[in-house]
Amino acid sequence: METEKGKTFKYLRERREVPEKAKENLKKYIRIKKMILDALQKKEMTITQLSQELGIPGHEVVFYLMTMLKYGLVKTGTVDDMDEYYTYKLAD
Amino acid sequence: MAGKNKTTSFDALVIGGGIAGGEAALNIANNGYKVLIVEKDLSLGGKMILLSKVFPTLDCAACITTPKISEISRHHGITIFTGTEVQNIVKKAEKHFRVQIKKKPRYVIEEDCTACQLCEQACPVVVKDEYQYNLVGRKAAFIPFTIASPRAAAIDIENCTLCGACEKVCPTKCIDFTQEEEIINIDVQTVIAATGFSLFDPLRIPRYGYGKYRNVITSMEMERQLAPTRPYNTVLRPGDGKVPDRLAYVLCTGSRDFTTGNPICSQICCMYSIKQAQLLMGALPMADVTIYYINIRSFGKGFEEFYEQAKGMGVNFIKGKIGKITEKDNGNLFLRYEDINENKLKESEHDMVILSVGVLSNPDNALFFNGDKLWLDQLGYINQPEPLSSPAETTVKGVYVAGSAAGPMDIPDSILSAGAASAAAISYIIEAK
Repeated sequence: METEKGKTFKYLRERREVPEKAKENLKKYIRIKKMILDALQKKEMTITQLSQELGIPGHEVVFYLMTMLKYGLVKTGTVDDMDEYYTYKLAD
Repeated sequence: MAGKNKTTSFDALVIGGGIAGGEAALNIANNGYKVLIVEKDLSLGGKMILLSKVFPTLDCAACITTPKISEISRHHGITIFTGTEVQNIVKKAEKHFRVQIKKKPRYVIEEDCTACQLCEQACPVVVKDEYQYNLVGRKAAFIPFTIASPRAAAIDIENCTLCGACEKVCPTKCIDFTQEEEIINIDVQTVIAATGFSLFDPLRIPRYGYGKYRNVITSMEMERQLAPTRPYNTVLRPGDGKVPDRLAYVLCTGSRDFTTGNPICSQICCMYSIKQAQLLMGALPMADVTIYYINIRSFGKGFEEFYEQAKGMGVNFIKGKIGKITEKDNGNLFLRYEDINENKLKESEHDMVILSVGVLSNPDNALFFNGDKLWLDQLGYINQPEPLSSPAETTVKGVYVAGSAAGPMDIPDSILSAGAASAAAISYIIEAK
């Protein structure tokens, strides 16, 4: 089969099923990303506050929020008076 | 998928592109021989390239590794296959090994990739980043890490949804989903096994709570948190993002422990833990760091002074064996331990625990030799029949061992071992002529 450069994904899509796990991972990330972005739209929040507001375990918030920090969707705010918890806010 | 078959020849094959394999390859290539490095990972550098700093000098690990890796990558006498595994080796005759290797598709034409990371930005998928020890996510189209070599993207096909977003944005059109697995046959005169080591999985000690209590992490996870390319904005608890201020190290996690099947000392855990404790005191000046140990083994050059320096900085050392770790509602951790000096059972509270995991042999040491047998020792390291007089020799003439594939050792010893292996390999090649 002739494959056009830049569109070779179609070649593999005809030969390989996308694993269910990959589809579920994608859905979960999109859902949690939206929840975090919506929450941070209102105000800067700590991970604990996000966890409580969104009903997502703290370690999952850490994982997704830090991934969003890595890819430039959010940025670090300030640390509290006890130097314990940072707030996070939307990137400009 | 149907594989392609190719045959080619080199003077030496180096299995493993970590610091020992890289050093051995450089030594051989600098003497005018053609070397092939086969690395199963997507980048050269092994575990060292992922470290923050090295003991006892506190030099930046990347500052040592990166120039070395760059020299290896640009050397005209060295060919590098990443994402590639050795399948089997047949000794056809003296100075003639036939090696079959499997090169997995990267789905990116390495030479054309400019590492612009546009594919990474476009990819919608997020999965755990194994190069950050799962502390943070990465995309399915990704560059393994900032200083990876080759610095080229790869597609994680198991997690890719084949949406085509990466291909649409790639300016050089180097993403290629038509790539297939290749089987390559290679003829070489000599082989160096530099397969490195694996780390003890603390899930094998359930009483320490790793995997259950989120604020119990491994020393390699802390190493990443302390590295300049760290996963978080600062050192944080993975359970709730709190900046920790009472940290505990549990030494000998999976070392010197018959119950875990690893009765020997890993040789590096005391010193890397002391190094991390010093770095933590720099990163978190108000933090209390306690190291629970059985014996501190500071046997190398400058190690004892390094240990004394840590004590002088305020690191707390307790001679005690941890019995059990339990978690409080706020994520803090109770350590129940035997204070060996006072002969008492005690408990202490910390907000983060780092398990100083031990070194194990790499299962990949069981190289598939047809005919001659490469013997392993009882713990799975490559057997050295003459460890004192010829430490690089193995049970197969013409096959040499470099670095921690032979047993636990630190970075300077790995480099020395690689020097011995490369010298032995060159002698063997010369003998052939």
